[in-house]
Amino acid sequence: MTAVQERHEEPTKSAEEQRLEAAARKEKQLKWFWRIMGYITVLGVWEFAIADILGLATGRTLDENLLPGPLRIVETFPDIVASGRFFTSFGATLTRIGVGFGIALILGTAIGLLTQIKWFENFFRDFQTVGLTAPGLVWALVGLIIWGFKPMGWIFPIVMVTFALVSVNIAEGVRSLPKDLIDMAKAFGTPQLRRQREIVIPHLAPFIFTAIRFGFSIGWKVTVLTEVFSSNEGIGFEMRVASQLFRLDEFFTWVLSFFVFALFLEKVVLQYFERRFFHWRQEVATA
Amino acid sequence: MAQIKIDNLRKEFGVGDDKVVALQNVNLEIEGDVFVSIVGPSGCGKSTLLNILSGIETPSSGKVEITQDRHDANPGYVFQAARLLPWRTVMDNLLFVQKDPDSEEARARCQKYLDMVHLGDKGDKYPGELSGGMQQRVGIARAFAVEPDVLFMDEPFSHLDAITARSLRRELHEMWAATGKTILFVTHDVGEAVELSNRILVFAKGGKLEDDINVELPFPRDAANEEVAVAKAQVLKKFEDLDLVAT
Ligand SMILES: Nc1ncnc2c1ncn2[C@@H]1O[C@H](COP(=O)(O)OP(=O)(O)O)[C@@H](O)[C@H]1O
Ligand SMILES: [Mg+2]
Repeated sequence: MTAVQERHEEPTKSAEEQRLEAAARKEKQLKWFWRIMGYITVLGVWEFAIADILGLATGRTLDENLLPGPLRIVETFPDIVASGRFFTSFGATLTRIGVGFGIALILGTAIGLLTQIKWFENFFRDFQTVGLTAPGLVWALVGLIIWGFKPMGWIFPIVMVTFALVSVNIAEGVRSLPKDLIDMAKAFGTPQLRRQREIVIPHLAPFIFTAIRFGFSIGWKVTVLTEVFSSNEGIGFEMRVASQLFRLDEFFTWVLSFFVFALFLEKVVLQYFERRFFHWRQEVATA
Repeated sequence: MAQIKIDNLRKEFGVGDDKVVALQNVNLEIEGDVFVSIVGPSGCGKSTLLNILSGIETPSSGKVEITQDRHDANPGYVFQAARLLPWRTVMDNLLFVQKDPDSEEARARCQKYLDMVHLGDKGDKYPGELSGGMQQRVGIARAFAVEPDVLFMDEPFSHLDAITARSLRRELHEMWAATGKTILFVTHDVGEAVELSNRILVFAKGGKLEDDINVELPFPRDAANEEVAVAKAQVLKKFEDLDLVAT
């Protein structure tokens, strides 16, 4: 750590180093330039030209109420927040993801650990494949048909689309447990509990992390889907109501705020925890 | 005083056509602060012997017993690769195998042995930030810091360049002289065995103990010294007589 900082503070940098740093800066600027250009282009076309393009394609001019531009959507946002529905709906959806994915995490971990035993691996194999490949829509419909608006109606689909992601990742982590380190601990007579805490869990952490990351990104899509079908609260429900009432500005406001929220979770919250957990990798990478 | 007793030890891996006999008919007694080298061609069961003695593996039949004044002896192990936890700092790696990792005494002890391997200022580094030779020294400090009665070392220097290996050999010997313990040192390098040990056990393919040689020359032994060179030649001759390929 200290050595690394010292190196950064060194006053004299060789010309080669300076050149490389400048190149890296340029690269980064370009990356951001194109990223922002992407946003400007998409939003710009949507705001100013989408009605004409769709009009040309269909031969009819498009009613601007059917596809409001981004400015109108942003204007609608404060209204939704002011009505209080924004927070209650986000809260409801998040609770569902939390409960559903929480159950999937427990179930998936248990199955992942069990598949270490060859018999269970065969027992669960095809169900895991189904869990990984079947579309969430199928489970959402099955949940609706069997349980209607009862909690199982939304718990079931979330669990079905995410448990296999968890179990497959955990199984992979357990399969690759560092036997050399565990043997080392054994040779020194290190207690079992300390071995678990200091070797097994740190080794599994990135696998669990991957499971959470992907599980979450799939989980929220299914959650919103179930709300569209079988709920009277949550973001999906609001989307359904808004679309049924042809309030498309409201509809897109819900969609966009969820995108922003998902981006925030992915880029800020998860990355924060990742940095904390895998601090040692940073240290090693910059050494 | 540490005492190792091996009684009619046999170890097999696998079953049926895949069966491998790693060790057979091994009978052995080791006592006191001796430096014992175990040599033999690759695959003759050297690592397996250390793994059984340290409790990583269990014997297929026979008995091993390691005692220190009639109690179970406290073991230490240095592996061919350092085997450090990559997610823990050097100091935490040493503390990890301590009996009382949270105590001040343990920390002081670990620091003392880090100093001994000249890594006293690297305690808060992660293993990945150190060179291979430094990591191996951390592994050695970790083993010494548990103040073991018996120290197992499995080709600890074979991955290192000749110069690093040489200086580590000297450090190891100084630490052995200073702390006094039984060392079982596996190597496939006869020269290394002759320079370091009081006693050399020669294993042959199939895991049989073929020879048990006492080397009675004073330490430190310089590779250039004539007596050492003669002893090396004698051991190598035995190797040839036994038709063992010294790699
Ligand atoms: N865990 C294991 N499973 C199967 N075979 C093994 C295992 N460990 C060692 N062996 C076999 O036992 C024999 C002795 O191995 P080892 O003790 O590693 O030899 P050495 O250390 O002398 O090179 C080899 O034939 C090796 O393939
Ligand atoms: Mg070996």
